[in-house]
Amino acid sequence: MLLNRANSGGRWRIRPDGPGKVTGSLTYLTDLTRENMLYGLVLRSEHPHARLARIHTGKAKQLHGVRAVLTHEDVPGLNAFGIANPDQPVFCKDVVRYVGDAIAAVAADSPAIAKQALSLIEVEYDLLETVDDPEMALLPDAPQLHPGGNALHRTSFCKGDTAAGFGQCVHIVEETYYTPRQMHTYMETEGGLFVPEANGRLTVYSPTQHGFMDRMQLARILDMPQTDIRVVSSPIGGSFGGKDELNVQPYGALLALRTGLPVKIHNSRWESVRAGLKRHPMKIRMKTGTDASGKLIAHAVDILADTGPYSTLGAEVLNFATEHVIGPYRYSNLSVMGASAFTNNGMSGEFRGFGGNQAIFALEGQMDRLAERLGMEPWAFRKLNMREPGDPGPFDQPIAATEGAGQVWEAVAKSPLWLEKLNRSQTVTCEPWIKTGIGAAFTMHGAGLGFGIPDPAGGRLQLAPDGKIEAVFSYEEFGQGLLASLELMLIEQFGFAAEDIRIIIGDTDVVPDSGSTTASRATAMMWKSLQRLKEPFLEQMLGRASSVLGIPADLLRLSEGGIRLKENGEAALQLTYKELAQADGAEIRCDTSFHFPVSSTDRVGAHFMYTYSAVAVKAEVNTLTGRVKVLEQFHAVAAGPVINPQGFLGQIEGGSSMALGFALTEEALMEKGFYVTRNMDTYLVPTIAEHRGKVTVLPIEELPAGDEYGPRGIGEVGSVTVAPAIAAAIRDAAGVWVSRLPVNPLELQDVPFFLKEGGDRG
Amino acid sequence: MNEHAVRLGTPYKLSCSVNGSRHEIETAPSARLLSILRDDLALTGAKRSCEIGRCGACMVLVDGKPVNACLTMAYQCSGKSITTIEGLSTINGNDPVQLAFMEEGGFQCGYCTPGMVISVKALLESSPDPSDDEIAEALSGNICRCTGYGGIWRAVKRAVEGRRSSG
Repeated sequence: MLLNRANSGGRWRIRPDGPGKVTGSLTYLTDLTRENMLYGLVLRSEHPHARLARIHTGKAKQLHGVRAVLTHEDVPGLNAFGIANPDQPVFCKDVVRYVGDAIAAVAADSPAIAKQALSLIEVEYDLLETVDDPEMALLPDAPQLHPGGNALHRTSFCKGDTAAGFGQCVHIVEETYYTPRQMHTYMETEGGLFVPEANGRLTVYSPTQHGFMDRMQLARILDMPQTDIRVVSSPIGGSFGGKDELNVQPYGALLALRTGLPVKIHNSRWESVRAGLKRHPMKIRMKTGTDASGKLIAHAVDILADTGPYSTLGAEVLNFATEHVIGPYRYSNLSVMGASAFTNNGMSGEFRGFGGNQAIFALEGQMDRLAERLGMEPWAFRKLNMREPGDPGPFDQPIAATEGAGQVWEAVAKSPLWLEKLNRSQTVTCEPWIKTGIGAAFTMHGAGLGFGIPDPAGGRLQLAPDGKIEAVFSYEEFGQGLLASLELMLIEQFGFAAEDIRIIIGDTDVVPDSGSTTASRATAMMWKSLQRLKEPFLEQMLGRASSVLGIPADLLRLSEGGIRLKENGEAALQLTYKELAQADGAEIRCDTSFHFPVSSTDRVGAHFMYTYSAVAVKAEVNTLTGRVKVLEQFHAVAAGPVINPQGFLGQIEGGSSMALGFALTEEALMEKGFYVTRNMDTYLVPTIAEHRGKVTVLPIEELPAGDEYGPRGIGEVGSVTVAPAIAAAIRDAAGVWVSRLPVNPLELQDVPFFLKEGGDRG
Repeated sequence: MNEHAVRLGTPYKLSCSVNGSRHEIETAPSARLLSILRDDLALTGAKRSCEIGRCGACMVLVDGKPVNACLTMAYQCSGKSITTIEGLSTINGNDPVQLAFMEEGGFQCGYCTPGMVISVKALLESSPDPSDDEIAEALSGNICRCTGYGGIWRAVKRAVEGRRSSG
């Protein structure tokens, strides 16, 4: 059944955060102010690569209204951060490695004074050669950006013998794919309020995707116990991976502690662009061959990622790309090599899809090219080579088996769009330069952080003294609808009314560590937590109710507003939750903690749970302008039960929009280590005008009998298959294979027949 | 942002109406309306995002017309009537446009939503039954990064119906 409001019935609900969002009354963390608040700004490097000869802060410190000017000398603890490997300086000391590198920070009475103070800080640079090309970075004579060299990480995965395999191939396709430096472009730039409390603690109000990770990193920088830091991290005006790593928090925290006053930082868009993470630009070379029947015999891949100056999760992104260039197909011989190179370009890091977007664009491009070479229908070609339900995953690791691959394949095969492609007759339009085509792509996308990486999960249910049922998790609400999903699960699984529930998230002082809100994991982990909490929580609640009411617990049930009898229940409320909370007895509270399910493998990063997705798109190419318009999309997503229909639809629609930009318009251009694209006038996020086409979403909810993992993640999967489907539609429409994104209109422009030389006709 | 230094140089008193109340604000003639709203009047519904008039997160109504508050200067607001998102829902609860956004899921993170609602409001005031072309044109200055605009299309259509049936 297609996912829409009409088909969702009462499960389509107004989100709990809806009223605050549509009325503007919701206070974001960058809206916060305090009395006597100072304004913080960060001085960032003018050059992509330079030695820092001297930093003079004297004049800035003397400016009236300046309360603090900090440099590397003022960091009490570790002068570095990074989730996986803390190699990014809070403040650079000797060398700057990109134009976002921080050199100093100021706190002042007004933004204007803070800005003036930045201009008074004098920095003497000795320029160094800029490493702006990942290929050059890995050459032996390249300037070395880190003591360990310029290779952040290398991966390989081989089986069989690809050289021999290619010898047996009848058809071989070789292509190099390039993907852009895509920007998250969350509408709320990085920022927050940093408050030194009277008791010596520090409160950090700043968006992140993992509050406890920020707290740990800040404790390391500030040389403070973690328990002296409180991180409040929701609500968030968009993140998409981009606020997973620390950004302004070290500066706000250091300035607040130094001045003893609240400090507000809110990045301008340009500062967000220059300092913030982007999607890794990748160059992916692929050579893939089949036998005469179309069976994949050999697949050789070489991935090169531009990770920028510091690690963050660059290594993990490469692991993910390595897994997803193999993807949902069977090969007899396989050889994948990956490298992620340090450069003096912008920071690359975590971003929705996490290396899958690039990998799947390349892999699906190969499948379409091979099918064409074979003269086969491209969807049938995929079916011929697809992994079967009992097969291991891309790294030959055991995975949670589902029928998802076949289900989404079939859904696209039967979709009106695909049938239109197979059955269409050549249509002549009155505008012969407008050409339409249909293409499709397919994937299995991993969820969770993968084998070998701590991936904790868990949560708490408790009855508050005022009778509210409190659901407490450390997950974050950055728009995806986590609060709505949790509320709906509590209503459906426990029988509560929305008014009975109080959801508490995003505050390290009061929530348990449920792990990060990343990697399409949070909804699945909340679902699993509630499964584990249900029995003990019911036992405590009904046990207490039983002793108050003198009715055996097994005759009682939880319901809207309070406890009712199981039989004959609707009218008679036996006990309100408030009365239950006020009854004598120990606190009613249940906790659970567990680990995200992992594969029994030794391959770091290999996934256990996958979401299967297939997309068909219809696109129009204007061969005069070279512009592409996406007319229609059909998404089939096999991810287990739909927890929250509105959220699910929103994630697929929203993810697909990001992919549309990735395919057609978005690129943060850099030249010699400097950003050319500085704001949204030249960084082209899709607008409503690019989204006039229909988007249809078909969720496939069925899971194998006995499956204990429940809903799979859907936060990323909408964003990974659209680009290759658009590329296939472009080929279908205009006969051009696109291998570089965003699509360059020049490649699609055709000289109109009336301008061609006479001799060229025919 | 409070443009303190600028103000010291060029004092100016802005007289205007914000959400129906008269205000006299000591500021500079070139101070941005966005800063006046957020920093002086503590109306944080209009959001700071691109600050170059591209994204629409700061959209407000000036004499009923949608403008980017990040580009509008104080002197341009003299004697004008300004309506922010906070001013839409004061009478009879939520506006039909706001209701439609909630019912159709026309938002996710919500940061673009106040500006988006303001633009839709202005569109429907001038064109109660807009064509798709009109909708696309009216909202192409409001960037939403989360929804892919599916929910926004549905919300606008629903708001058109909602206004028709209520009015």
